[in-house]
Amino acid sequence: MADRDRRSSQAADPVVSIDGLVKHYGKVEAVRGIDLKVARGEVFGFLGPNGSGKSTTIRCLLGLLRPTAGRIGAFGLDATRDGVAMRRRLTYVPGELRLPDRLTAMELATSFGHLRGGFDPARRDQLAERLRLDLHRHLRDLSSGNRRKVALMLAFLFDAELIILDEPTNGLDPLMQREFLAMVHEARAGGTTVFLSSHSMSEVQRAADRVAILRAGKLVAQGTVAELRGRARQRVEVWFEDDPPTAQLKALPGMVDPVIDDHRFTATLSGSIQPLIGLLASHRVGSMLVEEPDLEEAFLDLYDGEPA
Amino acid sequence: MSALILELVGGPLRAMRRATIWWCLGLAALIAATISIWPAFKGSSGLSQAIDQLPTGVVQAFGLADFGTPAGFLRANLYDFFVPLLLAAAAVLFVNGQTASEEASGRMELYLAQPISRRAVLIGRVIAALIALAVVTIVLLLAQLASDAAFDLQIDSGLLLSTLLLTGLLAAFHGSIAVAVAGIRGRPSLVLAIGLGAAFAGCIVASLFPLSSVLAPWRHISPWDWAFGGNPLEQATDLWRYAALAVPSVVLAAVGVFAVARRDISGA
Repeated sequence: MADRDRRSSQAADPVVSIDGLVKHYGKVEAVRGIDLKVARGEVFGFLGPNGSGKSTTIRCLLGLLRPTAGRIGAFGLDATRDGVAMRRRLTYVPGELRLPDRLTAMELATSFGHLRGGFDPARRDQLAERLRLDLHRHLRDLSSGNRRKVALMLAFLFDAELIILDEPTNGLDPLMQREFLAMVHEARAGGTTVFLSSHSMSEVQRAADRVAILRAGKLVAQGTVAELRGRARQRVEVWFEDDPPTAQLKALPGMVDPVIDDHRFTATLSGSIQPLIGLLASHRVGSMLVEEPDLEEAFLDLYDGEPA
Repeated sequence: MSALILELVGGPLRAMRRATIWWCLGLAALIAATISIWPAFKGSSGLSQAIDQLPTGVVQAFGLADFGTPAGFLRANLYDFFVPLLLAAAAVLFVNGQTASEEASGRMELYLAQPISRRAVLIGRVIAALIALAVVTIVLLLAQLASDAAFDLQIDSGLLLSTLLLTGLLAAFHGSIAVAVAGIRGRPSLVLAIGLGAAFAGCIVASLFPLSSVLAPWRHISPWDWAFGGNPLEQATDLWRYAALAVPSVVLAAVGVFAVARRDISGA
C-alpha cells in the first residue's frame, strides 16, 4: 500500500521543475523568468529560435550554469546544490556537440561507462547497429551526423529517468531522424521522461506530448500540441456561388488580410472559425478550404511582434 | 569507484600521452646536445680568462662564473634559465590543455553533465598533469645522468637529483598558478598569460634584481630564488626550499579546485 502511494506520488511530482528562473550574462538577460513543470513519463518539447534561452535553461538544469535568480532542478533536487545526485538519473545530448577527437566511439562509450557505472556492452552494440554507427572509427574522422549518432548512443546507453536532448537531430538524415523518434517513443513507453529542445517544429510535433515556446528568454506559450494548434492562424479559402458578403466577412472577429477576388474569398483567421461558419450558412458556398494549422503556424504566430 | 578514479586520471593522461613524449624527447635532446660540448670547455683556462674580462654584472646575469667547472657549466647552459623555464612552460601547457582549453572548446560539457562533481574532474586532471610533469622530470634526470657519463661531466648525482627535484617543483608551482586561474576563469588565454608570465617574471627577478643594490633584497620574492638561491648543484639544499615551492603549489591548486565549483562553465 505504502509502495503504491509512493509510486502514485512519484507520478504526480514533476520530474523537471523550474520556478522563476532568471539567468543574466553580465548585462545580457538570457532567461527572464521561466516557470514550468515536466511530468514523469512525458515527452516535453522546448521550442524557440536561436538565442531564445533554450540551451541556457538546459545548462542551468545540468548545473553547468548558476541561476541568477529562481530555482531549477529535477526529481525534487536542486541543480546547483544536488547536481551529482541529479545527474546520476539523467542523460544529455548537447546542442553544440564537441567530442574528444582522439577517441573512437567504442572508447568513449567505455569511458562514460567507467564514469557512470551500469555500462552494458551488448546494449552499446545494439544501439550502434540501430544507428548504423561504426564504433571503431576515431571521432575526428566522423561526419557531423555520425558524431550526433555517437551522442545519441551515449544518451540512450544508460538507464535514465530523464533524457535531455538539445537539438538532437541536427545533421541526421531523415531515416535516422525517424529512428530517433522511434527511440524517443520507446523511452517514453518505458516510463522515461524526455526533455526535447528543438527549433524543428515538425520534430516536436511528432514527438512531444506537451510543448513550451520560448521567445527572448520568456515563455510565450505552454500547452499540448493540440492546444497550440488551436491557437494558430488558419488559412481559409471560400468560393461563393452568389455574391460574397464583403463587408460582413471583413468585420468578422480574427479575420486577417481578407481578399475578395470575384467569387473567391481568402483570409487568415486567428481564433474560432465558428463566426465564419455561421455567416456562410446563410450564403450559397460552392467549396471551402481550411488548411489545418500545424505547430509551425502556431510557432511563427507567437514569434510575430516585438519581444515581450 | 576505482574505475571512476582511474578514468578521471587515466582519461586525461591518455590525452596528454603524445605531448608528454614530445616534451621528454625535446628536453632530453637539449640536455644531450648541451652536455656533448662539455669536453671542449672542461678545465679551459683560456675561457676562464676571457670570462674574467667581462663586467661582473654580465657574468652574474648570465651565470658565467665558474663556466669551466661542471656545476658552473650546467648552471649557465641549462639550469639557470632554459630547463626550468621549459619545464614550467610544459606544466602550464599540460594544465591549460586539460582544463581551460577543454572548457573553452566545449569538450568539458559532456563530461560535466555526468554524475561527477566539477571538483573531482579538476582534481583528476591536475593529478594527470602532475604525473605527466613527473615523467618528463624523471626522463630529464635520466638524460642528464646518461649524458654526464657519456661526456665525462663529473658531478655529484645527489646534487643533480636535488636540482632536478627543485626544477620539477618550480614547474609544479607554475602549473598550480595555471590551475588556480583555470578554476577561477576557464579562459585559455588568461591561463597561459598568467602562468607563463609568472614564469618569465620570476626568472627575470631572480637573475637581474641581484645586479642592483636597491632591487637585490627583492630577489627573494621570486620562486626561482626559493628554488635555486642555495646553489643546489654545489651545495646540499635546505628542506625549506622544497617546502617553499610545494606548499604554495598545493594551496594554489586548492584555490582552483574550490573556485571551479562556484562559477559558470562556459560553453562551446
